[in-house]
Amino acid sequence: MRYIALVFIFLLSLHADEEYQLGKGVQAGSLPLYIGGYFSLDYKHTDDIDRYRVDDVAVMGYGNYEKFSYLAEFEFKEMYVETHENGVKDSTNNDKLYTERLYLDYNFNENYMLRAGKYNSQIGFWNLLPVNVLRETTSNPMSTSILFPKFTTGLGSSYISYGEGELKVDVMLQHNNDISYEYNNYKIDEHYGFGVSYERDDYTLKLNGGYFHNLDSYAVQDNLYYLLLSAKYESHKYQILSEIGSQKSKNDYTTDYALYVQGLYRFNEQHIGVIRVESYDDKVNETDDDILIFGYTYRPLYPIAIKSEYQFHSRSSQNQFLFSFSVLF
Amino acid sequence: MKTAIIIFLSTIMLSTILLADEYAVIANHKMKDLSTTQIKAIFLKKITVIENINAVPVNLGARDPIREKFENKIIEMNFERLKSYWTKEHYLGKRPPVGMQSEESVKAFVKNVEGAIGYINANNLDSGVKVLYRWSE
Repeated sequence: MRYIALVFIFLLSLHADEEYQLGKGVQAGSLPLYIGGYFSLDYKHTDDIDRYRVDDVAVMGYGNYEKFSYLAEFEFKEMYVETHENGVKDSTNNDKLYTERLYLDYNFNENYMLRAGKYNSQIGFWNLLPVNVLRETTSNPMSTSILFPKFTTGLGSSYISYGEGELKVDVMLQHNNDISYEYNNYKIDEHYGFGVSYERDDYTLKLNGGYFHNLDSYAVQDNLYYLLLSAKYESHKYQILSEIGSQKSKNDYTTDYALYVQGLYRFNEQHIGVIRVESYDDKVNETDDDILIFGYTYRPLYPIAIKSEYQFHSRSSQNQFLFSFSVLF
Repeated sequence: MKTAIIIFLSTIMLSTILLADEYAVIANHKMKDLSTTQIKAIFLKKITVIENINAVPVNLGARDPIREKFENKIIEMNFERLKSYWTKEHYLGKRPPVGMQSEESVKAFVKNVEGAIGYINANNLDSGVKVLYRWSE
């Protein structure tokens, strides 16, 4: 069914009315349907392993009609992976098409919005724009992968109030199985979360908290609670982004803490430098690490990102170099 | 001497004020009063519905000087930052406001479309549109 949808979307895009611009998608004829997508290729080098990967290949369609809007996104994840370890080559293919996002929004008025379907959990800043081409490093901070479910399948609601600044309250509700549950960092059947953010001038502060039920059979703890505090400063030249959080079960902390602070400097429109410091202590996987990352991004056009980064880990065997090429179309 | 300096400086300040261009954010007469924060949110497509009416923000052409002034004053983002903003919004399923080539087109559109909102030089205002906000520079 998803393959048929892809073919249908492709055929519709051939009848676009407006001129195509990279990174803006294209309208399907005069329908309330815009089509776009993205892909990323990356390379990783450590002391032992070289890995080449076609990571994301995704197609999405969205539009709005009256008070309704919708978005559907289908993705091939790790479509091709080739590793070279101690002179031995290995490769894998994955041709499964996952449903990454699929939701319908209803805007009641300027304050209230209701969402139903599968969507990026409205937690922190990083998780809202998680795709390679839109973030500033090839890697993701560990805190965005271990504390909370990246996706929620169910209902979502937001309330926004505009005064001197912008106050936003988000609610996430899941009481059912995930759509494409393989495509989520946690296999869950319950998620109840909230978020409160306040944005004024160049500053945004956000607090998230919630509970989810983890279905993974190997999981030691299945009822998990998380809390995340995020802060962002953004000007024309600089961006400072930070998230710090913790996760616990009913009895004990499962992740004592996971945090990152990232500074970004735009030398000009095309050239961007990044420094990120990360630290975490994950008791479930019995791992902890401190990481220092230097990154550089070149964007010949904004929807095209060529990125490199070097990571220094507290355990030096994990030091690594990453390079990626990604495009939003 | 002191009086002469004061008169001289006052003359310069007055002429600066008198020579400053004035601009206005305009909307269809059915639009309610809006704060600058709400106007910004409409042009960034964070607000899409206002009192049961779909909000329809209208921009001037990409390099129009009035658009540049509006984006610096109200949106508080420069052209490059807005380009990256709309690329990110494409991933989130949102489109930038439609663009029109002239202030006359913006005014005509705003007069005729419920929920429409745009900006023009205040010299081009007439009674067919509602003024939401004025600024000069």
